Amino acid sequence: MHSNAGLPPGILGHHFSSLARQNEAMRLGMWLFLATEVLLFAGLFTGYTVYRFQFPEAFAECSRHLELTLGTVNTLVLITSSLTVALAIHYARTDQPRAAAICLVITLLFALSFLGIKAVEYAEHFHERSLPGKYYAYEAVKIPGAAMFFSVYFLMTGLHGLHVIAGMSVLSWILRRTLQGRYSSQYYTGLELGGLYWHLVDLIWIFLYPLLYLI
Amino acid sequence: MSESGPSGRPTQALHPDDRDDQHAHSAVPYFAVWIALLFFTALTYMTGKQHLGTWALAIALTIACTKSALVALIFMHLKDSSGTTRLVFVTSLVFVALLLFFTVSDVATRFRPATPAGAPFGTERSQPEGLLEHELPE
Amino acid sequence: MRLSEADSHALAGATAAPTYLHDGTTVMSWLNTRDHKRVGVMFLVSVIFFFLIGGIFALLLRFKLLEPGPFFVEAIGYNRLFTLHGIVMIFLFLIPSIPSAFGNFVLPLMLGTRDVAFPRLNLASFYLYLAGAVLAIWAMVHGGTDTGWTFYTPYSSTTATEVFPVLIAVFILGFSSILTGLNFIVTVHTLRAPGLNWMRLPLFVWGIYGTSVIQVLATPVLGITVLVVAVERVGGFGLFDPARGGDPVLFQHMFWFYSHPAVYIMILPAMGVISETVCAFSRKNPFGYKAIAMSSLGIAFVGFFTWGHHMFVAGQSTFNAGAFGILSMFVGVFTAIKVFNWVGTMYRGAISFKTPFAYICGFLYFLVFGGMTGVALATTSLDIHWHDTYFVVAHFHFIMVGASVMGFLAALHYWFPKMFGKMYPEGWGLVAASLIILGFNATFIPQFLLGNFGMPRRYYQYPEHFQALHVASTAGATLLGFGFLIIFIYLVIALKWGGRSESNPWRSKGFEWLTASPPPTHNFDEIPTITQMPHDYRTHEPSGVIRGS
Repeated sequence: MHSNAGLPPGILGHHFSSLARQNEAMRLGMWLFLATEVLLFAGLFTGYTVYRFQFPEAFAECSRHLELTLGTVNTLVLITSSLTVALAIHYARTDQPRAAAICLVITLLFALSFLGIKAVEYAEHFHERSLPGKYYAYEAVKIPGAAMFFSVYFLMTGLHGLHVIAGMSVLSWILRRTLQGRYSSQYYTGLELGGLYWHLVDLIWIFLYPLLYLI
Repeated sequence: MSESGPSGRPTQALHPDDRDDQHAHSAVPYFAVWIALLFFTALTYMTGKQHLGTWALAIALTIACTKSALVALIFMHLKDSSGTTRLVFVTSLVFVALLLFFTVSDVATRFRPATPAGAPFGTERSQPEGLLEHELPE
Repeated sequence: MRLSEADSHALAGATAAPTYLHDGTTVMSWLNTRDHKRVGVMFLVSVIFFFLIGGIFALLLRFKLLEPGPFFVEAIGYNRLFTLHGIVMIFLFLIPSIPSAFGNFVLPLMLGTRDVAFPRLNLASFYLYLAGAVLAIWAMVHGGTDTGWTFYTPYSSTTATEVFPVLIAVFILGFSSILTGLNFIVTVHTLRAPGLNWMRLPLFVWGIYGTSVIQVLATPVLGITVLVVAVERVGGFGLFDPARGGDPVLFQHMFWFYSHPAVYIMILPAMGVISETVCAFSRKNPFGYKAIAMSSLGIAFVGFFTWGHHMFVAGQSTFNAGAFGILSMFVGVFTAIKVFNWVGTMYRGAISFKTPFAYICGFLYFLVFGGMTGVALATTSLDIHWHDTYFVVAHFHFIMVGASVMGFLAALHYWFPKMFGKMYPEGWGLVAASLIILGFNATFIPQFLLGNFGMPRRYYQYPEHFQALHVASTAGATLLGFGFLIIFIYLVIALKWGGRSESNPWRSKGFEWLTASPPPTHNFDEIPTITQMPHDYRTHEPSGVIRGS
């Protein structure tokens, strides 16, 4: 059992009998929150499934007109950012805070590139008018259901993008804490929880990629 | 989950992260998982481009689930986590499946005119199979 | 088992430490509190306030319904009234009420711990609730919405009323609900006192736990649904709009996936309260502790499998209608288990007919009849006739007002001395309870009849031959309103000028009564070790014994 001595102040809540118990609570709390995020996206996955089932041709055709290369690069970017955030936690718990901070910075850079690539894709959609619902005016695909594909596409990638931004805020926050020396082999749960959130962002994209780009 | 005393669970039941052996922790599994994820991404890319028809979705989802399992179990340490945490994650997936199942079953078994405009098909025909009476050859 | 000195002092009424009410008296000490008890009290005041607002909307719309033709408000005004009544009552009162007000206050005490797992998150829950409430009020002041609380598309994505802010308000309120549920689940898992294993948890805790599971799993789906409608309003995405290939029934699937389990969020905590009070006021152990505990989880789980029974005539497939109809029957089983157990607890108990017990009686009556009409409605063939009539309205008011609100009032009176150290006037309590039970019957039994005769819900005008029943219903509603007003008045009087109550006026064996009333900020001087079953009235030990750790 860890002793509670030597912890930076303010880490152990007064109502927890031990750090181990508090860590357990924090992890459980974060996983419960991740469960809610999974169910949030579930609604959109349901909409996707329903409309793909009803407009299979349109969905397949529109999917072929997405930038597969950019989508694939983005997938690799997110997967690698998951690695770097896992490494950040590894370095923190082995008392190498500088390496941890560097890994977090790299993760943030990957996150930024993800958003950048997504912005390029969105710009292309705006340019060629492959837009949701009433704004759809894409010359290349003119079958029923095409507009619906892009409604679903923008909703799913848009919500995912918002979560990337949220994840970046979380990562920045834990980067700041890492630079302040808060995490060590004794306590790194906050860093771990931030990492968990980032992994979820990656998890969602792991499903979005084949479902949107590879129909 | 009975208590053994006010200080919490016995040491063996602690999460590995809470034990005193931090310095032995290795980063190798993370790199291994990363390589595997790259491999599976390449796999899904290649199989996706084949446009395998009805199997495409099943293959893509299987690969995605495999990748997710790797991320969840290793990157997110679900492998080492308490039973409760694992139950939470699995339960969320079960309820996603529930939402999907009944919604898709509705659309899949619905009376054809109730599907949205422009949908090229519905599964239940509003007319009987084959020719109608007045269409039969004389 | 002996009392520590500090606790025996506290139980004797002397204050060794200041109570949570007096520990810091500035406004900031309340607004910035980490104390679950203060958060609970702030929630209590807020939900009562919104209950009164929602009640006023109800009285206004019932006033309009005195006349079959145009009267008092225009049609669109009437639509706004019933919409706002539903939104305020459901999202600002029923969903948060018992968990966020009483759950917050009592859960850590029942678990023998000093606070919930995440005190700051708890405060954040409260502020999110306020933010959602303020946004909803803003929308109301600007005319509100006319979509009904169910926001069915494509009307809700196209109507010109203030739907957007209300949708965002609902999203924010949902987030508050999720955080509360999350906090409670983690608290129950990780902060139980020594000796308090799962099969010794008080039955209220089981109810709150089941509720929290639903809150965490179901609310996000509501979140995404209202978000998509909001985006539809602004961006014309067409996800639910038939004109763009969208499917309005998809909205209903996503909406009811949350909103059916939501009704179990509204009833499970009330059931938990009844479990607590039935034991206390019958002075008897629960008839079947495990049955009641497990049925809370059963209801939480099975409640997720039934949402399509709201959509029997919406256009979903017959396969789905059949499946949902059958699955809906199972929920009745768990509810029946509870009712039998409560009645079994009361049987041969030493009944103490105080105000909470009056509410228990009301609760049982309304739950049974409301529940049975629910099972009847879940029968597809019957629902074809009753769907969207007053029969449905009467059914859910029987459960939500009849049962949930009775549970809330039972909790309010049972824990009033615990929270404030004051006692309400018992005579007036019984008077108000009688008025409420009477008024409630007078309001909603005519509505069962109206619905069965074919009167549709949400209709502004109606045929003349329905007027008598409508007038009766409005009269009942007025009586009901009086009952609530009386409660409000005597509680405020009791708070300000009432007599000091003992620490455990009910001689209840609930764990929360082991500490002083009102409790000190840190709840217990020493964390107790629990060695007995909850609600154990077989022993003749004086209540309030704990062993210091």
